Amino acid sequence: MEGGELELIQKSLQGDLEAWGEIVSRYKEAAFGIAVAILRNRADAEDAAQDAFVRAYQRLDRYDLSRKFSTWLFTVTANVAKNALRRRRPDPLPKEVWTADPAHMVWQEDMERSVREAVWGLPESYRAPLVLRYWHDLPLEEIGGVLGLRLGTVKTRLHRARALVRAELTARGVIRDAAG
Amino acid sequence: MPRDELERRIRDAVTREIEGGRPVLEGLEGRVVRRLARPAVRSPWWTRAMASLADTRIGLGWAVVGGVVTLAAGIFAGRGLFLNPNALSAAATDLFTVAAPGAKAVAVVGDFSAWQPIALFDHDGDGVWKVTVALPPGRYEYAYLVDGRWVGQDPLAAEYLRTFGKYVSVRYIGGDGE
Repeated sequence: MEGGELELIQKSLQGDLEAWGEIVSRYKEAAFGIAVAILRNRADAEDAAQDAFVRAYQRLDRYDLSRKFSTWLFTVTANVAKNALRRRRPDPLPKEVWTADPAHMVWQEDMERSVREAVWGLPESYRAPLVLRYWHDLPLEEIGGVLGLRLGTVKTRLHRARALVRAELTARGVIRDAAG
Repeated sequence: MPRDELERRIRDAVTREIEGGRPVLEGLEGRVVRRLARPAVRSPWWTRAMASLADTRIGLGWAVVGGVVTLAAGIFAGRGLFLNPNALSAAATDLFTVAAPGAKAVAVVGDFSAWQPIALFDHDGDGVWKVTVALPPGRYEYAYLVDGRWVGQDPLAAEYLRTFGKYVSVRYIGGDGE
């Protein structure tokens, strides 16, 4: 556990909201990353991250202090985001979501744009493991723990996710073939 | 494209999207704490009073006191509208602090927490207990519990109410008390 984290959790268990605010500060970007991987929309992901921290605080007495806190928190976040995804139908297409963001208007290079659209165009079941692997740098076992998947399923989904991205890049003509 | 290059590009694509979301995360701590400090939906006073009576974490006596104070607050709410609020300074708006050297447990109860205790802490052991509770602008009634003893007159309060022999402190956040 990171320095002082256990103390912050214990204070939070005693009702110290200032301590929980520090926990939120430490993990908000990681929780947001999971939420955006599942929801593919920043505003919805912010809502989900907020809901996840509220729910985690309310259920903190169920957290086993001997377990890794981040895995438990990420699991709560993934569940909240998946519930939000189920309520929100249909899932918006990436183009509709992202093109309104001015930060991406400058992102015009073909390869980068193609990879981005290929990754964020993946189904949620492939996208979420990919983000946990390549942004959170989680081990495969932990990805399985957060998403409720067996180790073999995580490996399969990551393999297929990479294959789908490669196939999309090939179809767009930004790479020459699907080999490699 | 070799696998390591594909993985690098995937990593870059994911990183750009997530890190681009940093602006929406600014102030998330405050939003979470405010939601936790204040019930999202305020139930009627009689529901809250019944919930307090059913709560085994606090004694029946305190539950009755909380219910009486809540009821009294409703009775005197109209009178409070005519008072000229002496608003606290902006630096103190969310901070509940009380000097209680030697105390073992200090909590604040108030209408913002449905009169449920929120613990104060004395991290440096100087006898000054405090907790920061983020509250939206408004008028708040509260009291401290110092080792279970009711302390209703906070020196930092804007005013006091005295009902049924108990004092309750009042503070205004946001300056206008609205």
